[in-house]
Amino acid sequence: MRNLRWLAAIVVADGLVIASLVALGRPVEATGLVGITAMVIGVLLGIAVIRWALGGATGVVGVARAVVEEAVRMRGTLVLVLLLVVAIPSLPLLLDHSERLAYRMQFLLTWSLGATGLILSLLTIILACSSIGGDIESGRIQMTLVKPIHRGEYLVGKWLGIILFNLLMVALAGIGTATFVRLLAATEATDARDRTAVDHQVLAARVAVEPTPGNPGEVEAAITEAIRRVEEDAPEAFAANPDAARRRIRHEYTWQWHTVTPDTTSIFVFSGLEAVRESVGKGGTVQLELKPRADNVDIDLADVRFAMWLNDRPWPMVGGDHQEQTLSTLAVHVLDLPADAIDDDGVLRVTIANRNLVPAGETHPTAITFSPGEGMRLLWRAGGFAGNFVRGLVVMWIKLTMVAAVAVAAGACLDIPLAILASLVVYATAVGSGFFRDALGLYNMVSSTIGGAIAERVGRTMIMLLEGRWYEAFRMLFGLVTDVALWLTPAFSDFDAVGRIASGMLIPGSDLVACLWRIGLAYPLIIGLIGWAVFERRDLIRSST
Amino acid sequence: MIAGETAREPEAVDAAAGIDIKCVGLTKTFRDFWLRPRVRAVEGIDLEVRRGQIYGLLGPNGSGKSTTIKMILGLVTPTSGRIAVLGRRPRDVASKQRIGYLPEESYLYRFLSARETLDYYGRLFRLPSRVRRERIDRLLEMVGLDAVGHRPVGEFSKGMQRRVGLAQSLINDPQLLILDEPTSGMDPVGARQIKDVIADLGRRGKTVLLCTHQLSDVEDLCDRVAIMFGGRVRAEGTCDELLVQEDRTTIRSDTLPAEVVAEVRDLLARRGIGHIDVERPRRRLESLFLEIVERARAEGVQTSGAKAGGSVAEFLKGPEATDQAAVVGRDDTTRPASAPDSTSGGVDSNLIESLTRRQP
Repeated sequence: MRNLRWLAAIVVADGLVIASLVALGRPVEATGLVGITAMVIGVLLGIAVIRWALGGATGVVGVARAVVEEAVRMRGTLVLVLLLVVAIPSLPLLLDHSERLAYRMQFLLTWSLGATGLILSLLTIILACSSIGGDIESGRIQMTLVKPIHRGEYLVGKWLGIILFNLLMVALAGIGTATFVRLLAATEATDARDRTAVDHQVLAARVAVEPTPGNPGEVEAAITEAIRRVEEDAPEAFAANPDAARRRIRHEYTWQWHTVTPDTTSIFVFSGLEAVRESVGKGGTVQLELKPRADNVDIDLADVRFAMWLNDRPWPMVGGDHQEQTLSTLAVHVLDLPADAIDDDGVLRVTIANRNLVPAGETHPTAITFSPGEGMRLLWRAGGFAGNFVRGLVVMWIKLTMVAAVAVAAGACLDIPLAILASLVVYATAVGSGFFRDALGLYNMVSSTIGGAIAERVGRTMIMLLEGRWYEAFRMLFGLVTDVALWLTPAFSDFDAVGRIASGMLIPGSDLVACLWRIGLAYPLIIGLIGWAVFERRDLIRSST
Repeated sequence: MIAGETAREPEAVDAAAGIDIKCVGLTKTFRDFWLRPRVRAVEGIDLEVRRGQIYGLLGPNGSGKSTTIKMILGLVTPTSGRIAVLGRRPRDVASKQRIGYLPEESYLYRFLSARETLDYYGRLFRLPSRVRRERIDRLLEMVGLDAVGHRPVGEFSKGMQRRVGLAQSLINDPQLLILDEPTSGMDPVGARQIKDVIADLGRRGKTVLLCTHQLSDVEDLCDRVAIMFGGRVRAEGTCDELLVQEDRTTIRSDTLPAEVVAEVRDLLARRGIGHIDVERPRRRLESLFLEIVERARAEGVQTSGAKAGGSVAEFLKGPEATDQAAVVGRDDTTRPASAPDSTSGGVDSNLIESLTRRQP
């Protein structure tokens, strides 16, 4: 009763502050405070719902309920919850209002969801490790495990409580973020282009495809020929690691056909776009996203210049003239294509002619490269923002369930500090593994299969040790550990949610299923079984007597 | 089919014979991080606790009592030896449905209130919410915490936490109660009360394994005692077997006039009994303390701590009719005088009885 009276007093005081902020003409601050209030009330209501949902009388549910109470009543976790509750509604205050609206919205989405993911991951790790480790160290676990509950049920209960709490927090953060994004979208855009960007590049769910070369046969033939030549010229080097040599050559040629050399023309083909053509006919849009690089041996160039043809028709035409494009290499450019750009067979051929002149005082002209992966993509709208946003939140939650499984398993096997450290390492590996893989991939001169890589690295380490090359042996061994760690840890970047939502890219249903299976089920199950196997054999007392 | 299969298990055979706990050749060696043997906490212990007994496990600190208890509870895996608890292996979840355990320290969630704590443990026993509510009310009343049930346990004194611990050990109406140092951290009133509860539970046919180094607890309560030292059982038997001084006799009476004493001396001297001590008995400090507190309560002096506590909760039943047959080996003559046959006795009547009994 006393608590309720306190709550009522706080809500009234809060309302008065909000009213005065509005009266003083500070609507942004007032909105932020309304947001914080709403989030706090949401947390309280959500906890009540979780308590109700965990009303049953079984061991798993009992343990889960206790963890949720721990999450809201312990200081360490409460601080993180408050941080989240305050951070999201406060973010709009940080926005620079002279900036383009589309950028501001992307900033809000990226930071808000990014912060949510990070804070909740940390909260999950700390909560799981300190809850289980605390139970063991304080002796509380003795009181629980002498009751009719299996040790496995105890661990599942901890996991269940944490992921339900995460579900609540992700949902609240999602509602908060979406509300602020909508409020922001309703404000004035810088110009008409900005408004288009907001509608078609942020508040959208787009699909992207990459081009194939205009002359695929020739490219393949060139690659085959190059491989044959290397095999003939340096048979020993090739035989040492044919896999890596082939990969390197393919990589080189892929970059080559993505590059338009000075005074030449290249064709990039997007095909299978029948459905897109139909949707464009019904008012949908299709965009060409370009992120060009200027390659000049003499200087770094800020701009590139080229002429474009869409299905052999010059584009864009301004006043009857074929307009050349001059684009900055420091930005990503999105060109809205005309409705009839795609032909009846669902094919779009983009022809690029390099029109870079030799810069004044220099000797070499500039090549333009559209890097594989992100240099040139065709984008079209495949769904709305809301559905995609929810899918993104689900992906975020699935990742948190994996973090929770890792932390529960670590807490079951290790003391609190070690468990937190181990969980953080796995989390960091999962977050960074996409980057590590890309970074190591090029320079990794070993077999691409994990079995082959391990065998090769172990073999080479042995040889290096025998030859007394300690440093190289250590490096090889480090590579082995990295390889295995990356292979063991699912890459969060394979299922990017925040980046996709912020850039208005669709998170496909197939991705969602794959994410649920790999990150939400298979990996937690394996890691959970390992944790359980160790926990089952652990003597759960502190002292020796 | 299942019954037939379990009947062949040696653990089940023990249960059928009315043995609630049986340990054979129990040994525990703790290992360090490198798996080197570090401490041999328990060495080849044999124990047998029969249904309905109050069994004392006595020993100084580090004698292996707690480790033995934790092996019986399945928290620690024995290095070798065999354990049967209520006819099952210690890790068997089904047997835990009927076990209550009070550890040597109060390991409670500081952020839960006393009521929530009991609710948590009640859920682990799968008790329906109505039953949980009723039992929690009764138990809080019994341990004298009904007025502070909504306060977080973290704010409680050590003795009050101990009371919560005792209440949670009884929430499932256990057949077997394992109590590790139940009176540690309690004031004499609370300690007396807990002892009375244990005695009452014993009268109701519960089996109690009492692990303690409080000699008076054992003397007051236990049917049988095992004295441990260095991980081994050094002596085992009923209190009488262990304590009766075969070569001494005590006579108690109202205060005797000097001439009567002289007559008695004379009589004994004629019978050839030489060494006689005559002295005025002293009260025990415990009984004096309890009397002062009782008087203060009667005068209505207020306290912010735990209240006196009520009688033992009704739902704590005796063994069912089928179990009654299994109560064998119960030797009522060895029961201390604090356990009269009447089962109507609540704490208060016990208190008076014990006070009377303690006047030598």
